[in-house]
Amino acid sequence: MSEDIVKLKGSTFGIQLVFDRKVDFSVVKDDIRKKLESGSKFFKRGTVISIEPGILTQSEEDELRKLFHQHAVLFRVEKIESPRIPKRAIMNKSPQPNSDDAYKRARTDNAGQLIKKPSEEQKMMVINRTVRGGQEINSTGSILVIGNVNPGAQIIAGGSIDVRGVCRGLVHAGAYGDSTAFIIADKLMPTQIRIADRIAQPPEDAESPTGAEKASIQNGRIIIETVER
Amino acid sequence: MSEVIVITSGKGGVGKTTTTANLGVGLAIRGKKVALIDTDTGLRNLDLLLGLERRIVYTLVDVVQKRVGYGQALVRHKKYTDLFLLPTSQVADKTAIDPQEMLTIVQAMRNEFDYILIDCPAGIEQGFQTAVIGADWAIVVTMPEIAAVRDADKIIGKLQSENKNIKLVVNRIRPQMVKDGTMLDMTSIDDILSVDCIGQIPDDEKVVDSANRGIPVVEWKNSAAGSAYRDVVSRVLGEDVPFKPFETEGFFTRLKHVFGH
Ligand SMILES: Nc1ncnc2c1ncn2[C@@H]1O[C@H](COP(=O)(O)OP(=O)(O)OP(=O)(O)O)[C@@H](O)[C@H]1O
Ligand SMILES: [Mg+2]
Repeated sequence: MSEDIVKLKGSTFGIQLVFDRKVDFSVVKDDIRKKLESGSKFFKRGTVISIEPGILTQSEEDELRKLFHQHAVLFRVEKIESPRIPKRAIMNKSPQPNSDDAYKRARTDNAGQLIKKPSEEQKMMVINRTVRGGQEINSTGSILVIGNVNPGAQIIAGGSIDVRGVCRGLVHAGAYGDSTAFIIADKLMPTQIRIADRIAQPPEDAESPTGAEKASIQNGRIIIETVER
Repeated sequence: MSEVIVITSGKGGVGKTTTTANLGVGLAIRGKKVALIDTDTGLRNLDLLLGLERRIVYTLVDVVQKRVGYGQALVRHKKYTDLFLLPTSQVADKTAIDPQEMLTIVQAMRNEFDYILIDCPAGIEQGFQTAVIGADWAIVVTMPEIAAVRDADKIIGKLQSENKNIKLVVNRIRPQMVKDGTMLDMTSIDDILSVDCIGQIPDDEKVVDSANRGIPVVEWKNSAAGSAYRDVVSRVLGEDVPFKPFETEGFFTRLKHVFGH
């Protein structure tokens, strides 16, 4: 068997596409197509596959995005490991004694039954619509919303949350205690952000974000920073 | 070839009944055979807006309880002979009509009418399912304020999970307040709701006057709301009508200014 041209590197959130840069793009694309069409478990439906920016040209990125899309795989150009400078830190609130304690307790109780296997992190629920007020989405894995999260909606994930749209609802990533979970949105303007047992509220006068942002816990605080998509 | 439309909202008092009456009369003026069904049992008032209160003999509840056929309960409009109202009871409550029974009645009526409009009670409690079940698509009425838009969002979520197509009517717009930024503009509403808008109705005192007289504003030539409702009628009929810009107070003061010199 010949060496695979295209390799996938697992990361906390989705999977990263890697290949030898000396290989011609058409060969890379062919290899991906073959893998997609072989129906192998190589690319699962609903997974997110990312690639570092600057490797492909815009049109190559578009070609791959289209190809992946036909097989219900999401493709995204994103810097994965490089450190980022926090853009705007937001106020961290310590959980309120009554309601939030109860909230936390409920989560921990559940967590007892949900001993996370490594595969759990890769599991992703894909919601292909806008989540509207009064609706709640729950998953022990990660959640990808292709649409908006409206005010009054709730997204609760054991893993990370990715909103490919405007996020105005309540989002809770790492709801069973995973403090490495994070939240990404094209426009991150939620009423409240929760990651693991941290709660953050954007300041009242927060300016509306201009690009995609990511919220994660750094040094015990929820930090918001810009990301490239 | 009949079309069944439910007129609904999240928040109460935003103008469902007003919209049902105006759309019904408007479609009748355009030569369609129309039935309006009031499902706001216990709180009915569609009959009042149409000036038909005194003609009611039987109601939807009588039809459901098989005392009469729907034909006997239909009240014909005085002026538009192809416009009918199927009123509901003032005394029964919303548990009196089961969704399946409502569906049966609506299906039977389809053969006879071009349009069947169903006036829904507010919210998602009792009566929502009954009103919505027989409809091909829904008009969600809202007002340009945050609470009403949030509630509309919830209703839209419910309707979408029932696979209904949804169009939006924004009622009681006050152009000057929108201009001043004290009332939500269409862009901010669309930002949240993102459904097709088929009506932007200004706040208009004549709506209140028309309710008292039982003659919907869609018939009135000098009413801004009436003119906006005529456009809604055209859009429901599939015509591509652009939205007209509202006249704001600013516009009038500028005019006065010009005349003053
Ligand atoms: N465009 C308008 N301009 C001024 N007043 C209006 C307008 N639309 C509706 N109204 C007034 O608002 C009130 C509520 O309207 P309407 O009864 O149509 O609402 P509704 O949604 O059917 O209420 P409910 O939820 O109680 O059934 C009425 O008094 C009506 O006259
Ligand atoms: Mg009403």
